[in-house]
Amino acid sequence: MADIAVQRIKKELKEVIESDEIQRCNIFVELADDDYQDLRGKIAGPSDTPYEGGTFHLEIKIPKSYPFKPPKVKFLTRIWHPNISSATGAICLDILQDEWAASMTLRTVLLSLQALLAAAEPDDPQDEMVARQYRNNYPLFFKTAQYWTYFHAGGENSNSEFTEKVQSLKDMGVSDTRALIALSSCNWEMLQAVEEIFS
Amino acid sequence: MAAVDAKSENTNEGNKSDEEDEKEKSTSSSFECNICLDTAKDAVISMCGHLFCWPCLHQWLETRYSNPTCPVCKAAISKDKVIPLYGRGSSNQEDPREKLPPRPPGQRSEPEPQHGFMPGFNFGDGEGFQFHFGIGAFPFGLFTSFNNFGFGGGAHAAGMNIPPVQTPQEMRDERFLSSVFMAMAILFLLWLLWV
Ligand SMILES: [Zn+2]
Ligand SMILES: [Zn+2]
Repeated sequence: MADIAVQRIKKELKEVIESDEIQRCNIFVELADDDYQDLRGKIAGPSDTPYEGGTFHLEIKIPKSYPFKPPKVKFLTRIWHPNISSATGAICLDILQDEWAASMTLRTVLLSLQALLAAAEPDDPQDEMVARQYRNNYPLFFKTAQYWTYFHAGGENSNSEFTEKVQSLKDMGVSDTRALIALSSCNWEMLQAVEEIFS
Repeated sequence: MAAVDAKSENTNEGNKSDEEDEKEKSTSSSFECNICLDTAKDAVISMCGHLFCWPCLHQWLETRYSNPTCPVCKAAISKDKVIPLYGRGSSNQEDPREKLPPRPPGQRSEPEPQHGFMPGFNFGDGEGFQFHFGIGAFPFGLFTSFNNFGFGGGAHAAGMNIPPVQTPQEMRDERFLSSVFMAMAILFLLWLLWV
């Protein structure tokens, strides 16, 4: 790994640790190994969004040509969001692709991701299924995203109807994460979800 | 804070150095390269005012050769439009151009020239000067090419718009030449009128 990349990561870790955001438990980043290529990040779900109360873990891979190339970031915590894959956690965000600039840091990346949670862009989706629900039935999207936050990210807002449906599928021998994906993508229609799983 | 406690127990001299330390700290942080976040080495500054190490910016421009933008503000940026910063003494110890990639040179523009100092523009004052321009490039071109031939005028030879530094001897020569060409130009005009 290039010296400049290691030096940058060291400085950036310091920057995040000394930042105001960490004092307010909004963002966090730490090393996952000793050679500064693999990091773990955490962001808090922004308030007044379905992600409020959740903590979202991120995998951050630093390329050898950092900071001339962007870090590779994905969600380890599953999330229901038009610009984030519900299956893999892959993120569609311009600054992590073409709009990356060498002056951006881990701190600005984490804050941008937090901003993305607060303002989705359904017209440029990563997860088409989620985006369609967002466009066609926003109240259901909100409830679903909130339930995912409860289910995967430690959020407090449960939903008894959704829990019941997930439980019924579990009784049929389906794993709860699989049940959650199927139900969410079928707008919580039991029959459709069953069909999707067993077809 | 610990620094405040220490200060109160210090002598005046101690206080002074504490303050200087703090001043130094804040100064150095504003001279950090926007890419490596370290104090800028072989510093260059973009037209939008952002500071970088030349090697850092060069590498960024290499990765973004199709549409180079400032890594901070996304303004258009190019190799030719960055200005190197030379701190006192710092650039004397090591010539940055010997390192790869070379830092682009500074662009010097000379102060406004005095009358008779600059080759090619010293036909004389007032009417005569404007008149020659009106007729065409011939007297002008003849003059400059002769000047190049005779004195190896550095400005044209170097391919840059920087006038050479002239000795008093050269300046006298210039004045003499200018009056010769003034005369030639008048003869040329008369010839034109006659024909
Ligand atoms: Zn630098
Ligand atoms: Zn700029």
